[in-house]
Amino acid sequence: MTAARKPRAPLGAISASLLALLAAGAAGADDATFTSTRALGVTAGAQIYGHICQGCHMPQGSGAVGAGYYPKLAGDASLASWRFVVLTIVGGRNDMPPFGLSPEAANMIRAVHLSDAQIADVANYIETHFGNHFPHKVTAAEVAALRRAEHID
Amino acid sequence: MSAQSGARAPSRRELLRMIGLTAGGAAMYQAMDALGFAAQSPYRGPVNLQGAPRGASVLVLGSGMAGMTSAYELRNAGYRVRVLEYNPRPGGRNWSLRGGDVYTELGGATQHCRFDEGLYLNPGPWRIPYHHRGLLSYCKRFGVALEPFFQVNYNAYLHSSRAFGGRPRRFREIKADYQGQVAELLAKATQQSALDVSVSKEDQEKLLESLRVWGALDTSYAYRGSVLTSSRRGYDHNPGGGLSGRPVPSQPIGLAELLDSQLWQGIASGDDFDMQTSLFEPVGGMGRIGEAFGRELGPLIHYNAKVLSIHQDSRGVSVVYEDRRAPGSNRQTAWAEWCVCTIPLPILAEIPMNVGAPLRAAIGAVPYASAIKVGLQFKRRFWEEDEEIYGGITYTDLPITNIGYPNTGYQSAGKGVLLGAYIWGLNAMEFTAMPPEERVRKTVEYGARIHEQYHEEFDNGIAVAWHRSPFTMGCFGMWSPQSRARHYEDLCRIDGRIVLAGEHCSYLNGWQEGAVTSALDAIGRLHRLAVSGGEKA
Repeated sequence: MTAARKPRAPLGAISASLLALLAAGAAGADDATFTSTRALGVTAGAQIYGHICQGCHMPQGSGAVGAGYYPKLAGDASLASWRFVVLTIVGGRNDMPPFGLSPEAANMIRAVHLSDAQIADVANYIETHFGNHFPHKVTAAEVAALRRAEHID
Repeated sequence: MSAQSGARAPSRRELLRMIGLTAGGAAMYQAMDALGFAAQSPYRGPVNLQGAPRGASVLVLGSGMAGMTSAYELRNAGYRVRVLEYNPRPGGRNWSLRGGDVYTELGGATQHCRFDEGLYLNPGPWRIPYHHRGLLSYCKRFGVALEPFFQVNYNAYLHSSRAFGGRPRRFREIKADYQGQVAELLAKATQQSALDVSVSKEDQEKLLESLRVWGALDTSYAYRGSVLTSSRRGYDHNPGGGLSGRPVPSQPIGLAELLDSQLWQGIASGDDFDMQTSLFEPVGGMGRIGEAFGRELGPLIHYNAKVLSIHQDSRGVSVVYEDRRAPGSNRQTAWAEWCVCTIPLPILAEIPMNVGAPLRAAIGAVPYASAIKVGLQFKRRFWEEDEEIYGGITYTDLPITNIGYPNTGYQSAGKGVLLGAYIWGLNAMEFTAMPPEERVRKTVEYGARIHEQYHEEFDNGIAVAWHRSPFTMGCFGMWSPQSRARHYEDLCRIDGRIVLAGEHCSYLNGWQEGAVTSALDAIGRLHRLAVSGGEKA
């Protein structure tokens, strides 16, 4: 967020979703008819994690426990499957919104669109941080293939 | 209007409707309607639950609006009711943070609210439309005093960081000028015979007259700086008395600049059905409703109870819970013949519960919205003293999105609390990812670009990020048309002896009325099942 006024990278997929958000108007109990925030230049996995994922999974991937819990990403056996990780990011899981929807579809439910490359990036970041050392390097093409197989677009 | 003008030409009614609505407003409303957001409350008066089986019992999980509506009505109908609540207070998302309150979010960050006496932030709902009759009826029954909530304040701001040198404009200026410029344009088109195909000569006369009145046009159908247009958009020098009272008209903003500024996007903010006058807020904070319900239910609510599992069999429902302050130390089991479960879906999805596959799938199919509210206390009410803003909302393209001014306590001495930010979507996720103190700091930094007094007058703040809320893990259920078609009925249908209720089980997502009406709908069905001996759903 500190970089909000100074994008660190050219406008990426997030800026497209922001433009869509701008046109979205009110939904639910919200009346944000005027949302037109700037692109944040988040393109790399570490930045996406820091801007989005850590809101729930926490800065060190530690998760959190209240009436329910956010799964920790550190030492979670299910992360051994990169497909599980990618499908979770693409399609969402329970509380977690999907990030693989098209900008238009994401906008309909006030979710955020990430590109296949961004999803691959953040999946690789999670798979190689917080004590995780999973070797497979996910590609954007693999994300796209999984996304299409699950009819998420 | 005439039939001979061609099948595809807009009718007069359609034409006037196009004038009356900005394209954004109309498109937005249709999109909302498709999602069910603009649906009207189905509240039809107090629920009638006559003939409850003798000694029948219901366990209610959660003491938010849905849980307490259920518990209150079922108890009044003669059921033995017990409520389990995770928080140490009633209300759930119906909640006001006041001075002395302590809030610990997921991840452990703890904030101490340092607002002065009588000042508050509503982290959740903050307004009640007049047509939310279910919720309003409980306010009336419990004596919760209401006051007006101003959705639209003509003297609040519309602000774009990319227009007018980043300086905010008054809502009245943008609305009057947009309306006036569009009226002038349409009048010109009419006079130049551009509408001859669509509008008959006779109707053109009527149209011109209506445009003149609607747009504050002069006798030559022009919108220009004058006392007439200033009576809509405001003056450079307001009319007054005596020798100094002569008004000085202001100059309108040109159409091109107006369109380029994008500020017209804010004009329709009070036109949506959910945002139309009248709206209300409880005196003293939205939390007054939850507190009133809590008083009504008294010892029926068991606080600090964290639900660990829910198990039903042919005779009833067993719920294992523990004191959330002492995890793992003292597990207890509550039992009743029936269960109304209002636990938010992100949490319910993680609680073992033996229900059918359709309900299980529905519980996992609804992601929750990310939203942030930040309350800022200032040393004085500068928005009133310096800028004549009494209540209402300023809209901005900055990440803070909204600044909400208190609709109460006008002209009072001492400090005041603003809603400094109310954010959705990506920016809300990003604010959530920051420590609370940084959220407050960024909110002050952005807000100061609209009110420079922030620098001098800021006192303290508190920030609630709904995805960090331990008792909801999100703001409200986000249904897509596809997920609603596939899962909504499964979510609402009684499964054995368990029925779900809450805003997530409604077409009024994110509204308290959704929780209230879903509860009334659910307990009505549960009651009929109980009366029939549980033989059929």
